[in-house]
Amino acid sequence: MPELPDVPDSPPPFLGSWRRVYVAVLIYLAGVILAAYFFTRAYR
Amino acid sequence: MRALDWVVLLASLVSIIAYGLYRSRGSNTVDRYLLAGKTMPWYAMALSIMATQASAITFISTTGQSYVDGMRFVQAYFGLPIAMIVVCAVVVPAFYRARVYTAYEYLENRFDAKTRALASVIFLCQRGISAGLTIYAPAIVLSVILGWPERATTLLMGATVVSYTVIGGIKAVTWSDVQQMGVIFLGLLIALVTVIVLLPHSVSFGDAVFLAGAAGRLNAVTTNFDWNDRFNIWSGLIGSTFLFLSYFGCDQSQVQRYLTGRSIAESRLSLLFNAVAKIPMQFFVLFIGAMVFVFYVFVEPPVLFQHTELARISQSSEYTGVETRYHEAFERRREAALSLAQAHKAGDGAAHARGLADYRGAQQSLDAARASAARLVDKNHGEKGFSDTNYIFLSFVTRYLPVGIVGLVIAVIMAATMSASSGEINSLATVTVVDIYRRHFHRGASDHHYLTASRWATLFWGAYAVAFAGWGKKLGSLIVAVNVVGSLFYGSLLGCFVVAFAFKRVGGSAVFLGMLAGEAAIFWTFLRGNISYLWYNVIGCVVVVTVALTLTWLAPATFAKSGSPPAQ
Repeated sequence: MPELPDVPDSPPPFLGSWRRVYVAVLIYLAGVILAAYFFTRAYR
Repeated sequence: MRALDWVVLLASLVSIIAYGLYRSRGSNTVDRYLLAGKTMPWYAMALSIMATQASAITFISTTGQSYVDGMRFVQAYFGLPIAMIVVCAVVVPAFYRARVYTAYEYLENRFDAKTRALASVIFLCQRGISAGLTIYAPAIVLSVILGWPERATTLLMGATVVSYTVIGGIKAVTWSDVQQMGVIFLGLLIALVTVIVLLPHSVSFGDAVFLAGAAGRLNAVTTNFDWNDRFNIWSGLIGSTFLFLSYFGCDQSQVQRYLTGRSIAESRLSLLFNAVAKIPMQFFVLFIGAMVFVFYVFVEPPVLFQHTELARISQSSEYTGVETRYHEAFERRREAALSLAQAHKAGDGAAHARGLADYRGAQQSLDAARASAARLVDKNHGEKGFSDTNYIFLSFVTRYLPVGIVGLVIAVIMAATMSASSGEINSLATVTVVDIYRRHFHRGASDHHYLTASRWATLFWGAYAVAFAGWGKKLGSLIVAVNVVGSLFYGSLLGCFVVAFAFKRVGGSAVFLGMLAGEAAIFWTFLRGNISYLWYNVIGCVVVVTVALTLTWLAPATFAKSGSPPAQ
């Protein structure tokens, strides 16, 4: 089986660093859960 | 199904398969057949990851789950973004740096051959069972629509999936997944719009959402902590984080998707796309199920959605009483729903409270009548646990959706099955050839030899999935069954990878014994049967890490890692 090539790492195409992208995803998750919580309360 | 439905269905499926095979040209070496020669763009990987996860079960069973239990199943996905971040930050670069074909190959670099072999066998057991369940789901579709035996439809579906997976390898799988997700998104959107349009004219969309909520079908977040409760925010955030860490970090069916990327950044982007898109997508599918529930508040649904079983029990004398109670409860619920919607619009508090009590009371009577009918089925078969959850959405689609749309929705379900099954079979073949056959039975053969072995392994796992599919009908809600099966094995796999990445001092024997202890702990918990399956992942992982660390601490001479890692 052929040896696989070495694949380079590079920064994300937005927000400058992967750390910032991860923080943005966590903020998004908090927003989604809050939205779902208020949705549940509104139609309980 | 009418002629136009057949045209839409066949055109969708043939174009998906043809496109996948066309894009898979040149998959004539092992690295191209198994990893697409590392040429895939992020969006193709992202949609392939999503398609592999979104099987027919997602659409058949999730909508039914929402119909009977509400939308709280969405919480099982709250841990997904957290897991994706960990996978992107730790796992993806580690696999790329190790230049591996499979996740388990990495374990031999880090630990030893026996740990790699155990992890591979655990994966093959777990994913092999899941592949059977995945391929069973569309058999339900075809048996409901065409009245064909489930065995024949499973064979038909299996043969289709295996043929293009054997020929085209992962490129065929990935590019057909991209097409399949397009059909899936379109079909879901049209299904939601149609169910809303089909509501009575006097019931607005706002009324429908209100009535779904009043019946407890919009319970997207539940905050009470309960070990026995399968879906709440705590099991969702903690338990499902572990489940998805296992799924995306240790399960070859997912790892193989993102290892086809051109770069680490492209692989990360494909995973983060799923982190962002998956919860809204599940919410959307569950919401369709809630709207189908409201549709059936005004149009009397069958007592059971599985028509063959309903036909059988309708011969019994006890059924007449059940049917009468069911019909009365339905009429009461319909009247109560209309009164409640009126009171809600008028802002009449007293009438609202009265209407709500009547509506919920009628719902309970309806549920009780359905449960009595299910018991009659159990009595017929001499075994407990009949569930028609998987038939609810299909029954709705085939009876009420307009011509053409039925064909499209059936195409969505078939496409989803093909994408999930092909990904599973492809990854099972990869682990069989790379981690078992090449490593333990036939080292140093030619590229062509391993390519041929990969094709035979794909054929074998396709046949295995078809053979195992019959078990699916005994398991109730398939979406839950698939996750339960995964959770029985994922915890110990995850524990093994956590030790690999976080505790450099631990050696192979310690983690090997830890994995055996982890599996024992999970099965002990499962057999006791009083804890939600999402927690199995946490238990398995914690036991593996604890046992491995304790052994290393107690007997470092035997269990601590020493020397350089063995060569591949």
